Amino acid sequence: MKTSSPLGRRIRRYFSLSALTFRMWNFTGTAILNLFIWVAIAVYLFPLTYMAVTAVKTNAQLSDSRSPIYPAEALTYAYGGKDLPVYNVPQDDGSVAQWAMIKSTRKTVDWIDTLNPERGVIPWEGSWRSLERTYIPRIELGNFVGLWENLDYPNLLRNTFIIIFFTELGVLCSSIAVAYGFSRFRIPGGKYLFMLCIATIMIPDSITLVPSFVIYTRVLNWNGSFLPLIIPHMFGSAIYIFLLRQNFKTIPREMDEAAMLDGAGPVRTLISIILPQAVPAVVTVGLLHFFNTWNEMRMASLYLSTRMDLRTMAFSAQAFVSIGFTPEVLQASAILLMVVPVVVLFLAQRFFMQDMVVTGIEK
Amino acid sequence: MEWTSGKGPVEPEPVRQPHRLTMRQREGLVGFLFLTPWILGFILLKAIPILAALGLSFTNFRMLEPEKTVFVGLENYITFLGDTGAGASLFGSIAFFVQAVPVELAVALALALVFSSKRLRAKPILRTLFFMPSIIPAIAIFFIVSGLFNPNSGWINQLFMQPLGLPPIANFFQFFPVMLAVWTIGPGFLIMLGAMQSVPPEVYEAARVDGAGPITRFFTITIPMISPAIFFSLVINTISSFGGVALLDRGLPFSQSLSPMEGYINTQMFSYTKLGYASALAVVMFIVVAVVTLAMFRSTKYWVHFPEEREDEDF
Repeated sequence: MKTSSPLGRRIRRYFSLSALTFRMWNFTGTAILNLFIWVAIAVYLFPLTYMAVTAVKTNAQLSDSRSPIYPAEALTYAYGGKDLPVYNVPQDDGSVAQWAMIKSTRKTVDWIDTLNPERGVIPWEGSWRSLERTYIPRIELGNFVGLWENLDYPNLLRNTFIIIFFTELGVLCSSIAVAYGFSRFRIPGGKYLFMLCIATIMIPDSITLVPSFVIYTRVLNWNGSFLPLIIPHMFGSAIYIFLLRQNFKTIPREMDEAAMLDGAGPVRTLISIILPQAVPAVVTVGLLHFFNTWNEMRMASLYLSTRMDLRTMAFSAQAFVSIGFTPEVLQASAILLMVVPVVVLFLAQRFFMQDMVVTGIEK
Repeated sequence: MEWTSGKGPVEPEPVRQPHRLTMRQREGLVGFLFLTPWILGFILLKAIPILAALGLSFTNFRMLEPEKTVFVGLENYITFLGDTGAGASLFGSIAFFVQAVPVELAVALALALVFSSKRLRAKPILRTLFFMPSIIPAIAIFFIVSGLFNPNSGWINQLFMQPLGLPPIANFFQFFPVMLAVWTIGPGFLIMLGAMQSVPPEVYEAARVDGAGPITRFFTITIPMISPAIFFSLVINTISSFGGVALLDRGLPFSQSLSPMEGYINTQMFSYTKLGYASALAVVMFIVVAVVTLAMFRSTKYWVHFPEEREDEDF
């Protein structure tokens, strides 16, 4: 009996009705789940699709309410030394022909058939204003070029990156040091200091705004410089300290104790033992700070409004609404504003918040 | 048997030097040195400004005429009690918090649940795509929403309102905070997903053997196990709904702050230059946020299961 061999039995079991049903259910479930999530992401990012599509449209297309939804250009037809507008003209047999308009009055049009110009001028009667222009897909990059030329983008980028560079350096060094202090040393009252540190995350900006504004502008005379945007970050940030401390605590203490026994001081232990194992956490904090600084607008609007040459990307964009940019230029500027953080996110997604396991806020 | 009397070869007496610190004290001191950046920052950037704001709130300090500042007692707070604009703003802030935060948490939790399924493919790219809107600058979102709801060329009008025969939406401003709230689930989602993935699979296996269905498993295992992550997301969403900066900052300009109260404070500050009154409003807002936060922390003992700290780390 060949069919009772192990292979035959396995084949028969594979094709048995119950197994087939099970696999079909399984497959259907997987398919539905994956389909659902892709539909969800499409809906979730729908406004971004709008942004991307509109940014490569022309203003002429946006003004025509009957233009297609995709970026396109109204077709013209060169005839007799002129570029004639092309319309979709319905024919008697139900088809639609693409005819170029030579001359028009209110009710009559002289057409030329774009596919068959030898036919000559076709006189036509009807309300041609209800006809649609013929559009062909075309991507217009002029919005970006115009923005790049009119706004001093290299300068804006330079200012933003100066601030990002210095604050990143300061906030990372300080936060790592403080997180190390909180995670590895028995400090008298350290538990309460850490709870105080967590509590400062909850303090709304508004309360410190008035006094710090007075101090920065009146006492320190930092108005119109990068200093109010950079110096506060030199003291670390409570939320980054929290995230880093959480991560440092998951690194076994035996390793740094061994290093300490070998004569490594605390700083050396931090650099050579703790940090190499905390790369994803440090990268995550660095990225969070990068996104935050790129988007930062409040401090910039308070202290840089008097200095046009020191404007940052996000702050300069604030003026676009009042300048009265048309939708397609606004969408292009939105892309220019977000492209850097989004590219950075995609490049670093392997590390970003990858093993950020938050176990507790008090502990 | 001399050595049994205890006088034998004992360890040498530790050399006590009067000015040397013990190991424990030394450790505390070194640790404290590592904390100095934060302690300095706390004093300079938090404690002093908060005390100063409290002090200013009892004066009529105005930006343009600082020399005329006098102590006015509780006048600013009495003004606040009669100021309907401030009351409405504060109510608006609380209403936004009550509406937005639960929805954000629920969506993030549901999404994390879907992502913890083994059947989902292409997880890294999907994860990044769902997170991506959370880092878009607020001003870019403002441009997108203004275009999307444009009565002539916006897609909301072209794709939904016109085919349904409805009039175009004239005012897009009300959709801006909605969009911001919807696009803020990223951090909470990733934090909850991380927590869900760190739940040991044996726990689920054991529950399955005991006959627990998926819904029971979700409520009796997943939720308690990830409750610290839910709590953390709750805290960061609360802070950002009150206009603060937690984890991710979109850079909202003051005039478009999600929290109407914050917008009102800044109007008082920059349009009317009434810094004394603005400080008093900020103190009121601080108290409201403090009460909300304290209530949240107090509630943790009923629903958040913090992992037990190891006993040997008494700090």
